[in-house]
Amino acid sequence: MFALYKKEVQSYFCSPFAYVISALFLLVFSLSFISGISNMDNNVFKFSFSDVFYNNFFYFIFMIPLLTMRTFAEERKSHTETLWLSAPITITKVVLAKYFAVVTVFACMMLLSLAFPLVVFIKGSVVGAGLFCGYTGFLLWGMVCIAVGVMISALTDSPILAAVFGEAAMILLIFLDNFTSSDFIQSIPFLAKIFNWFSTEARFVGFSQGLFSLSDLFFFLSISAVIVIWTIIIIEKRRQSRA
Amino acid sequence: MVEIKNLTKYYGSHPAVQDISFTVGDHEVLGFLGPNGAGKSTTMNMITGCLPSTSGTVLVDGYDIAKDPMEVKRRIGYLPELPPVYVDMRVRQYLEFAAGLKGVKRADRKKQVENAMERLKITDVQNRIIGHLSKGYRQRVGFAQALLGSPKFLILDEPTVGLDPKQVMEVRNLIKDLAKDHTIIFSTHILAEVSAVCERVVIINKGQIRAVDTIENLEKSVAADPAIRMKIEGDIAKITNLIRETEGVKEVREVEYISAGVNEYTVVMEDETVRKKLMAKLIAEDCMVVEVNPVRVNLEEIFVKLTAAPRAQSRAELLEELGKELEEQHAAETGQNPYDDTDAGSEDAADSNDEEVTD
Repeated sequence: MFALYKKEVQSYFCSPFAYVISALFLLVFSLSFISGISNMDNNVFKFSFSDVFYNNFFYFIFMIPLLTMRTFAEERKSHTETLWLSAPITITKVVLAKYFAVVTVFACMMLLSLAFPLVVFIKGSVVGAGLFCGYTGFLLWGMVCIAVGVMISALTDSPILAAVFGEAAMILLIFLDNFTSSDFIQSIPFLAKIFNWFSTEARFVGFSQGLFSLSDLFFFLSISAVIVIWTIIIIEKRRQSRA
Repeated sequence: MVEIKNLTKYYGSHPAVQDISFTVGDHEVLGFLGPNGAGKSTTMNMITGCLPSTSGTVLVDGYDIAKDPMEVKRRIGYLPELPPVYVDMRVRQYLEFAAGLKGVKRADRKKQVENAMERLKITDVQNRIIGHLSKGYRQRVGFAQALLGSPKFLILDEPTVGLDPKQVMEVRNLIKDLAKDHTIIFSTHILAEVSAVCERVVIINKGQIRAVDTIENLEKSVAADPAIRMKIEGDIAKITNLIRETEGVKEVREVEYISAGVNEYTVVMEDETVRKKLMAKLIAEDCMVVEVNPVRVNLEEIFVKLTAAPRAQSRAELLEELGKELEEQHAAETGQNPYDDTDAGSEDAADSNDEEVTD
């Protein structure tokens, strides 16, 4: 399993892929950082890094399907899946290796963005706990989105289609949160309860405010696990009907 | 030993492979022969565990692919029809990754990779990106991948497709060489390859086995009356009559034009002695016999004969097939007249079509 994980991570870093997406990520991050600083309240001089994540959700999660689109679609397109289908390795391990490879790339991207708090730390002061919570929350959120992206990639032969459907799924995820707060849903307590349960953004808000709750952590991890298991089932199912 | 018992695969309701059974002994080279779309790749995918079977079992060294897939996969090296190479990796990097995937111990990896590269003669391209290599080299990289992990069994799906004649020879020699310490099953639709490399062949068509035997036995089984091909100069009608009138000649099967005045006749005889009489008669009649060749039953003929023979069918099946054929025919007929009940625009099109036909 480690061999596959290593190869996957390498395939991101040995091509311009990881670098271009990291650059895009940092561009959005830095622009948001600049606007955050220039719009700072003159009385308190406070600025929240979690807000950078929170305000740019829409841009950030758009990058995730770009990372995940190739995972399985590309393999099927170039007929390389027979390599691991005929090797003594289970499909579960293959999916996990690929999933964690993308998570690793995503974590590296976030690691790069730590340069900004570092600059702030040199010139001023940073609230460590809040920063940690913000980053943890975003990583967890990213893990859910990556799981969704990988699953969609497992459903199609074309990386481009995987990216497009991935974006659609991400938009749905965001709008799920908007629906949850709509009057209509809130007027039906039963629906509101369900929507609240699945609303990821509400849980991210907790993290962004520096609240580290085990239930939220568990929520993100379990949702990711469910989607990863689903991916394993999809691949196994497609293996049955492979021509 | 690989034992395949009643292996069947359906894609939806379409049977790709039906009730296949055969055994491959240790250190044997088995040719898997069939026209395109016969179910060769499907069978190979099932043996290697890439594709689950609808029913039937594959036992490799006593391990069932459905129950102990890991044990089976550890014993098998597989080269699929399209080599499973990552085009963005370097040859050496790819092979080391494949070795890791197959569970080769870290200490052995370097040695095994180098060994495989040497056997396939790709050591000189080891640092090149696979995507920049030619088809022949990619095929060899895929082949090298199959050798990693020292598998006891090698399953090769059309290993020589897309290679130039020199490379084909090299691959054939390699297979012969590998046969010393591996059991090999390889598929092909090129007959010369089978006779060059294999001891035994399985002939498959439309998902069913036609024959499992050694090449010699197969040749014997189809042996027919002796026949010769003669190139003779002169008038066709006269010569054909002369041959037919000869005692012991069964038939003149075909007459082929060679060059002005010279034709080739395929003559089927009762036995070899007729040949002398025939020659004597032709020479007596002043016909120039340019060339005489005995017709040997070759693998091609066996293959055509076996793959063309209708399979054993029940009456019900035959009726069903007939019904289908009629339906198709009907559909084709109605399909030919698509303008019958359409608007004026397409009538014009039909008219112009008619004109073209009459012109």
